[in-house]
Amino acid sequence: MKANRLIYLIKGELIRLHKYKVTTISFLIAIIWGVVLYFVEGDIFNSLLPFLILVDATLMSLMYIGSVMFFEKKESTISTMLVTPAKHSEIILSKIFANTIHNFLSTALIVIVFVLIKDVQINYLLITLAVIIATLFHTTIGFLLSYYQKDFTTMLMTIMMVSFILLIPSALYAFNILKAAFWEYLLLINPIQAASEIINQAFKPIDLNWKYYFSLVYLIIGGILVYKYLVLTKFKNYAVSISGV
Amino acid sequence: MNNIFEVKNLQFKYHKNQENVLKGLNFEIKEGEIFGFLGPSGAGKSTTQKIIIKILENYQGKILFKGEDLATYDNQFFEDIGVSFEMPIHFSKMTAMENMTFFQQLYQKKADIEKLMKRVGLWEDKDRMVGEYSKGMKIRLNMVRALLNQPNMLFLDEPTNGLDPTNAKILKDMIREFREAGGTVFITSHIMADIDQLCDRVAFIVNGEIKEIDSPRNLKIRYGQSVVKLEYSENNKIIEKEFPLENLGENKEFINLIKTKNIETIHSGETTLEDIFIKVTGVKLEDESQ
Repeated sequence: MKANRLIYLIKGELIRLHKYKVTTISFLIAIIWGVVLYFVEGDIFNSLLPFLILVDATLMSLMYIGSVMFFEKKESTISTMLVTPAKHSEIILSKIFANTIHNFLSTALIVIVFVLIKDVQINYLLITLAVIIATLFHTTIGFLLSYYQKDFTTMLMTIMMVSFILLIPSALYAFNILKAAFWEYLLLINPIQAASEIINQAFKPIDLNWKYYFSLVYLIIGGILVYKYLVLTKFKNYAVSISGV
Repeated sequence: MNNIFEVKNLQFKYHKNQENVLKGLNFEIKEGEIFGFLGPSGAGKSTTQKIIIKILENYQGKILFKGEDLATYDNQFFEDIGVSFEMPIHFSKMTAMENMTFFQQLYQKKADIEKLMKRVGLWEDKDRMVGEYSKGMKIRLNMVRALLNQPNMLFLDEPTNGLDPTNAKILKDMIREFREAGGTVFITSHIMADIDQLCDRVAFIVNGEIKEIDSPRNLKIRYGQSVVKLEYSENNKIIEKEFPLENLGENKEFINLIKTKNIETIHSGETTLEDIFIKVTGVKLEDESQ
């Protein structure tokens, strides 16, 4: 893979995220969250900020990559990319990396606003790592989900359904409705729970336990496997099926 | 002329189908020719094109590109070819110039975008969003997109469909000039007049098999009638007569008619490519264009 071509493609993706107003929407959402959090105090604030970062790095990642893929499908631009010297891996990775950069910046905006307005204690290294890993993983999953969506509405419904299914057990555990000890372990295979583990670590005194390392490795290895064995291998079939050549 | 493509016993089956879509195609495309690939919907035109531009794999048979197995070429193959799709394939919220510049940077060889855009009459609109373009403008932009990398071979899918006669002529002239400069063209179109004007050879594909392959001239002679038809008026009536072309100069009745009668029309029995399409494929073109 030519590094300069990948960088060029990432730049192109970032420009299009701006042109298609995805960046504007994500920054508006970040500002809205900022305003909401400004009026929240105490314990609620302490739990709401990590939760918003979690939503941004997971569910919003699925939404953004889904909308990008929908635009591309609608405009048949993937067809024309197939007949350029760009490799499939470059086309896919440029979208995943560009969406991760874009999502990271919108999350960073929320964090910066709160560091400036409120006295928030965050471990910047851990939050940076957590947001990047969680976003990369969920963007890759979003890329895969987009292969099976016929239109934008179906895509939104699927993302909502997947999110709902994944969030319910974590929420039930968080509210002490699921009390059995094994849930603590079992829930870690839920990528949203794993993302929550690594994001929450940035808001606590440093205590990198096995759950943290497991979640981190799980998201990294899982993301690579999903990319290599599902996203990359199914890309050509998907691209050909939507091309009207 | 050398063959740029040689297709030998090409067979292909989609996963969901039980039957082969392509049933042993054999044809070659010669370097420097305009090769027309014609057939009704579902005949296998698009599948064949997808295979020879390397976006469909898992075919059976052999395809040679410049004498080498097509399967051995990596993505550098795309440096050599230009593809114009039938549908618009641009980012609608970017200007035409931004689109062209973006795609061109992916190639090593680079054509003069300004010259191409001027040629198709889009230079004045280069800074407009493609989403604001009419269908005809998008089709002309497709042609610029196909030529961005100075390809040696062009694949054109319905290149003049939806264009007014003036712009269709500009595109046809560009295709001829590309051929005259040494380029090879693979073209599919249901506009038989364009095919007739442009192509050196045409192939008709029906139900995954090539039924005919020859120059438009030879096909017209083969499928036409070797006769001359003439009409003349006599006693306020139009009379039609038909004479065999063979030894026409010695046909006394024919010579007598053209000497003594008021001839109104005279035609050879040559058929049209459209009639040949209908005869070979069994499908009318108006059904195809819907």
